[in-house]
Amino acid sequence: MADNTKKKSLRLNSVSTGTEIVIHIILGLFCLCCIIPFIFVIIISFSSEASIRQIGYSFVPVEWSVEAFQYAFQKLPQIWRSYFNSIFITVIGTVLSTLMCALYSYVLYRPDFKFRGFFNFFSFFTMIFGGGLVPTYIICSQVLGLNENYAALIVPLLVNPFNIIVMRTFFQSSVPLELIEAATIDGSGEYNTLFRVVAPIAKPGVATIALLNALVFWNDWYLSLLYIKRNKVLQPLQALLMELQNNVEYLNRMAGQMGAAAINEAAKMPSQSLRMVLVVLIVVPIACAYPFFQQYIVSGLSVGSVKG
Amino acid sequence: MKKFLALVLAMIMVLGLVACGGGNTDAPANNDTPAQTDTNTPADNNTDTPAEPAASDLEPVTLSIWFDGSTVTPDASATVMAELNAYLQDKINVTLEPIWGTWADFDQATVTSLAAGDDVDIYFTCNWSGDEYNKYARDGYWVKLDDLLPTYGADLLSTIPDGIWECAKTNGYDGIGVYAVPGLKDTATQNCWDLNATLLAELGYDVDEVIAFASYNPDFYYSDEFEEMLQKAKDAKGNDFYPLVGEPVVFERMVNNTSIVTGDLQTANVLSFYYDPANPSKDIGSTIVNKYGTPEFKKFAERTYYLAQKGFISPQTQGTDTSNAYMEACRADANYLFCSQSYAFGCEIEYSAARKIDVRMIPAAAPYMDSTSGQGAMMAISAVSKNPERALMFLNLLNTDPVVMTMMNYGTEGFTYNKNADGTITFIDENRATYSPWTNGVGNIRILPPTSDQGTDFWDRFSAYYDSAEALPSGAFIFDYSDMQNEATAIGNVYAQYGFQLMAGATNPDDVLPEFLSKLQDAGIDQLVASAQSQLAAFIG
Repeated sequence: MADNTKKKSLRLNSVSTGTEIVIHIILGLFCLCCIIPFIFVIIISFSSEASIRQIGYSFVPVEWSVEAFQYAFQKLPQIWRSYFNSIFITVIGTVLSTLMCALYSYVLYRPDFKFRGFFNFFSFFTMIFGGGLVPTYIICSQVLGLNENYAALIVPLLVNPFNIIVMRTFFQSSVPLELIEAATIDGSGEYNTLFRVVAPIAKPGVATIALLNALVFWNDWYLSLLYIKRNKVLQPLQALLMELQNNVEYLNRMAGQMGAAAINEAAKMPSQSLRMVLVVLIVVPIACAYPFFQQYIVSGLSVGSVKG
Repeated sequence: MKKFLALVLAMIMVLGLVACGGGNTDAPANNDTPAQTDTNTPADNNTDTPAEPAASDLEPVTLSIWFDGSTVTPDASATVMAELNAYLQDKINVTLEPIWGTWADFDQATVTSLAAGDDVDIYFTCNWSGDEYNKYARDGYWVKLDDLLPTYGADLLSTIPDGIWECAKTNGYDGIGVYAVPGLKDTATQNCWDLNATLLAELGYDVDEVIAFASYNPDFYYSDEFEEMLQKAKDAKGNDFYPLVGEPVVFERMVNNTSIVTGDLQTANVLSFYYDPANPSKDIGSTIVNKYGTPEFKKFAERTYYLAQKGFISPQTQGTDTSNAYMEACRADANYLFCSQSYAFGCEIEYSAARKIDVRMIPAAAPYMDSTSGQGAMMAISAVSKNPERALMFLNLLNTDPVVMTMMNYGTEGFTYNKNADGTITFIDENRATYSPWTNGVGNIRILPPTSDQGTDFWDRFSAYYDSAEALPSGAFIFDYSDMQNEATAIGNVYAQYGFQLMAGATNPDDVLPEFLSKLQDAGIDQLVASAQSQLAAFIG
């Protein structure tokens, strides 16, 4: 009898073994679904072009080859520049946008801020109404001078109202106002309260936002398409890949109308394995960023600040 | 206070939106006036001075020009532009700032740029990518060139044949006229069967005999001989081999001798103009029809379905996403017997070398010219350009001065190519790969030096071939369906559901064709055809 209760209490938070097996299988399959495409891409990037032509994409290519990697590293200096651009844009953009988001949402979270309602509305409004592509483009490129420079790839994405709302809600749910009162009573000034008291508690929230922002900056290619035309040295990696991919699709689509020209042009396009090399290059750094952010997210979840 | 602020903010935003929207729609209209006054004043001034003023008399200007389909790296561009700009400054005191648009970004990025009124002087345009040329001419984005050409483009006028100028005419914002400089390139269309002659010979056929039989033969596709050749190839090469490769939409055009009606729906060609294969300029009725409703189409679809059922057409040919890539792969590996080909002069030589087989072309019809020929690659001057006359001077030089055209298109000597003793050039492949604009998209390619592969007299033969092409009776006709957008969208959707599959032999026309036709009817194809026909009648006069 005693054994029985002990066993039960040990398994307080657990489910039956059968359920656990099923859940493991389901989650395992899900993980496989996530990982297999990536492994597939890596395999294709190491397949020889002849093999792809012969049997298509396959886990076991007829012939392995590092030719595509060699070509990418030796013949395409733009890849390295784009790599640098992507990292530069992501780092600067993530830091700036996370900072702006945290500061903006912090004042929205403070109930004693006079214009809270207004600034709430100010950010929320843009989630529902936008000026459209062309007016946005005119403002950015002609009024703000976001043209052919790094700023054009960073500034338009700096403020994201959705992130502001998430962050504000995070402040509201995890940073008790009493803490700020307590800090004030202890003689802490506003900045001190923000950076020494609130910031450490808000780490998981900030990390989440930073991760979201990093992804947005890393994955963006559209800004480059709009604003980087003459100075293509500034193209980020994603834009380069998108360009290669779209070129091929476009020529496919237009083949019926362009005739021989489309065929000759298509022959100039990089091989399939080269495109996969680019995918690998794009995925690796951002995949490395996940564990880095994860430690903050997990650690934050278990930390409490006010007891009782 | 809060409410007041919110109100003010809302007002600002609403006004902002209105201002932006207004600015946007006004842009072309507004721009038009300065463009016209600009063009008139210097034109008047210029009557006193000779047509070609010395470079030193001209204000230095920077022109920016947007190309399509380029594979040009920033470094290579800088190298070539350094030399080209030095030459251009001597000639017309112009500094060129190229925007190397790629196939991918062209449609999206140029559209935004045009709508926003960016400071780009010259845009590549054409009638096939999204019918930008005719559409933007109508909307007032391009400068009408008719008045400017005699003064600033005299050489251009004489270099480009009248037929091509005729094809370049469109009904634009300032009336019918030329709104862009047409490129003098492969200005005729000729559909051919691309024949793997090596394989055919292996199968025991006399290649020349087959070619003689198939040339200009409208019944070739339906003949037992054709089927027999496909069958033999299939038997010889195994079950995974599909002897008939190509683009289904081109099959239809080459078997039935129909031409694309320029301006037809962008997503789908639903209209057709039938012509006489041996004699394209002959008037055989001059009518535009719903191509899917003709007995010819039914016969074609049935035959294609039959051939597909026999295993001659790969399922990959039958998918819109895979068909072109599959065709590329098959041709690169010489893995085909017959393939569709819209002929480009001299292509069989290139293809034979690339595929390491004997590639022969069997003409299905004689070469012909239509408005596609003149509007395939054009350079339009933006209505917001501050220097439209200088832009035209540049285009004039680009299309008539071999030095400029060669540098723009092929790069610079010693960097992308070397000159040979006989006047031909040989590319330095490594650098040419970094500087490779779309050759046909730059302009008059006939003034380029021949490459060593092409041979010294290549461009003479090239010109002779294309100049021999006859114009279709429909000539430079362009269909304008802007008042039938709803019908067009509906028809496009119906086409996407049935059209390609039928032409690829993926579906049985006995089951699908009546359904397809009735849906087209519901979508309003009759009105569309009637409208096209009445426009054509008015055009021919």
